[in-house]
Amino acid sequence: MPEGYFGQYFTIAIFIVAGVVLVLGTFALAKLLSPFQPHTEKLTTYESGIDPIGTGWSQANVRYYIFALLFVIFDVEAIFLFPWAVVFERLGTQAFVEMVIFIGILTLALLYAIKKKVLEWL
Amino acid sequence: MEAAWQEGLFFVFATVITVSAIGVVTARNVIHAALFLVATLIGAACIYILMFAEFVAWAQVLVYVGAIVVLMLFGLMLTRAPIGKYGEYDNDQKGLAAIVAAAVFGVTAWVLIDSFEGVELPTDRVAATTSKDVGEAIFSSYVLPFELVSVLLLAALVGAVVIARRDERVTSRTIDAARREKAREEDV
Amino acid sequence: MNLPPIDWHAIAPELVLTAAACLVLVVDLFLPDEAKWIAMPLSAAGLFGTLAAVVSLLGAERVTLAGSFEVNDFALLFKALFCVIGLIILALSLDYFRDGRYHQGEFYFLLLCALLGGVVMASARDLISIFIAIETISIPGIVMAALRKGDVRSNEGSLKFFLFSVLSSALMLYGMSLIYGVTGSTNVDEINQVLPQQHEGLVAVSVFFVVIGFAFKVSAVPFHFWAPDTYEGSPPPVAAFLASASKIGGFVGLLVLMFRAFPAVAEQWRPAFAVLAALTMTVGNLIALRQQHIIRLLAYSGVAQSGYMLVGFALIGANADTNSQAFKATVIYIVIYGLMDLGAFAAAISFARRGGTYFISDYSGLWNRSPALAGLMAAFLLSLAGVPPLAGAWAKLFVFLASIEAQVYWLAVVMGVNAVIAAWYYLAVVKRMFFDVPEVSEPIETPYLLRAAMGLAVLALVASFVYPRLVTDLADRSVLESRGADVELSSP
Repeated sequence: MPEGYFGQYFTIAIFIVAGVVLVLGTFALAKLLSPFQPHTEKLTTYESGIDPIGTGWSQANVRYYIFALLFVIFDVEAIFLFPWAVVFERLGTQAFVEMVIFIGILTLALLYAIKKKVLEWL
Repeated sequence: MEAAWQEGLFFVFATVITVSAIGVVTARNVIHAALFLVATLIGAACIYILMFAEFVAWAQVLVYVGAIVVLMLFGLMLTRAPIGKYGEYDNDQKGLAAIVAAAVFGVTAWVLIDSFEGVELPTDRVAATTSKDVGEAIFSSYVLPFELVSVLLLAALVGAVVIARRDERVTSRTIDAARREKAREEDV
Repeated sequence: MNLPPIDWHAIAPELVLTAAACLVLVVDLFLPDEAKWIAMPLSAAGLFGTLAAVVSLLGAERVTLAGSFEVNDFALLFKALFCVIGLIILALSLDYFRDGRYHQGEFYFLLLCALLGGVVMASARDLISIFIAIETISIPGIVMAALRKGDVRSNEGSLKFFLFSVLSSALMLYGMSLIYGVTGSTNVDEINQVLPQQHEGLVAVSVFFVVIGFAFKVSAVPFHFWAPDTYEGSPPPVAAFLASASKIGGFVGLLVLMFRAFPAVAEQWRPAFAVLAALTMTVGNLIALRQQHIIRLLAYSGVAQSGYMLVGFALIGANADTNSQAFKATVIYIVIYGLMDLGAFAAAISFARRGGTYFISDYSGLWNRSPALAGLMAAFLLSLAGVPPLAGAWAKLFVFLASIEAQVYWLAVVMGVNAVIAAWYYLAVVKRMFFDVPEVSEPIETPYLLRAAMGLAVLALVASFVYPRLVTDLADRSVLESRGADVELSSP
């Protein structure tokens, strides 16, 4: 097992490479082993026996965008939790209060979203 | 010795970033453009890791790759636009944009090379900033902008909800006012 | 390790305003539709509270948060100005948002957030605070501009504002990151000390990016394209906000950066400001000549006014006296501009709310229909034109004298020519109000609250003309010098 800063990332890199090789290898193997006999029927999308109509594109409702946006906002909040968690023990109460204010203000966003009924799944 | 492979890796990532960045602006399919953007951002995150900026790297992966690009894909799904390769996204300002981009690249590259030529970057971690340093900076000297960010995010969310949400009712009054104004404008 | 203590009194205005904004948002959620307007008095109370906190700090010299936050007379002056502007905009908004039922609670919340950005900006003395503050002003502004959701022009205006704003923020942030890269500090005083020893080209490029970013925010030519369309499309009280608070926020950031962080390398960016100022004045005034719509007229005249405010930045040099004179002239101009521009918007809005329109042709004979409104509107327009006995005259004169003092005569000449052009279109509106025959003769009743606000504004303008020390004293006290650091300025 490699040591140190880059050693740890080297381990991650090995896993990434292994993952990529595994997926690509399986596809390559399938390509090598499977028989190849093209036919139009085989190329159509299988949709529980019904012929597909139109393109694969359907317009999504704007309301789903708000879910994505809520996710971004709370993702940013989560990001700030990491450096806080690292130093929390040493910095004590003041850092704790600062983080509580930060999260408290963002909780209002959640309250607002709930009251405006944007979190209801229709 | 260590510096050599770090430099080698840097060039690998730099190539990935450059190629996928060009992919973002030349892709005929917007979904492909968004996915090229993922590659660009991950490449940048790798360079941050090479430079010992772990926190920035993981913030980049979590926020940009994990959230912003997802938001962009969501945005694309909201449109009625076709996403096949028949989509035409070019306009006549393509050449102008290329010139501006090249000029910005040329100028910044020139001044950066000119002023940082010969400066050695640290090749071991001792001299670099850690997540601890970032945490201490945020919670001591930068605590006000940090708290302001929460207000900013709250305002952004409220704004997004106000704009994206369907209004429960549009009063007859606003419609009337709009009609009046339109009629008045046609008179002019 | 213990954190350095925070000076809670120094950040009291920010705390009060944040609490007020959050309170408005929460209370609005639980109000029935008919009572949504209560958010407005609540916001006003919050702004009065902030103002009280500002007053309690008067005369204070406090630095906290590792030098990134500074409270002095300069900061307090602009904090108070943002509160006053906020109160006037609240007075403008009540009728508009209540009658149209445009998301009242959200509007007041967003307005308070944007003002919070301005209040922080007045004290921000490091790049990160400045950047977050300017974003906190812009982003609620973008949303507020889009509040007339059913109106295509509102959507278009907001989208334009959004795109320009994002582009300018990106440029500004890139410039700031380069500055941090060469100086290793985000603090304005440390930057000023280290910057002159760095490579000239890189410093010039990074300052250039930052200036372009701010030029978009203060709608300087050639970065002004968004302003008229956005002002016209957005709800008029929001247009008033964008023309006053939003622009002043940009200028406060510029003042801090240019007079405090970058003066040592002034010779590299001074010419850019001279060109920017001359272009902004001239183009803004020339296009304003042809406007038929009062909001667009005010938008282009606002562009031109930005030009006068930019002149001060083109005068920064080696001489500390001319520097401080340029600084004071700019501060005075910004304060007076905020008051008179907001007043003109208020008069235009109250005319349009009570049977009038935003078309200048409909202003014919306003004197016969409502002498009070015509008088107020004329006062604000004449002040914008720089006609005595109104404070606008002093504002122009001080900037003019500062450029003579700094021996930048050509800018003084450009200013003089522009004052003549500008007088033309302002006086055209005034003449139409007083001497043309009205098409309709019904009298116009202005809302009580608005008339009081406008009356006070005119009173302030006249008083500070008669007794200019009202504003010059404020400016004299508001210095923006770094303490302890002996900084050498570059020679011109």
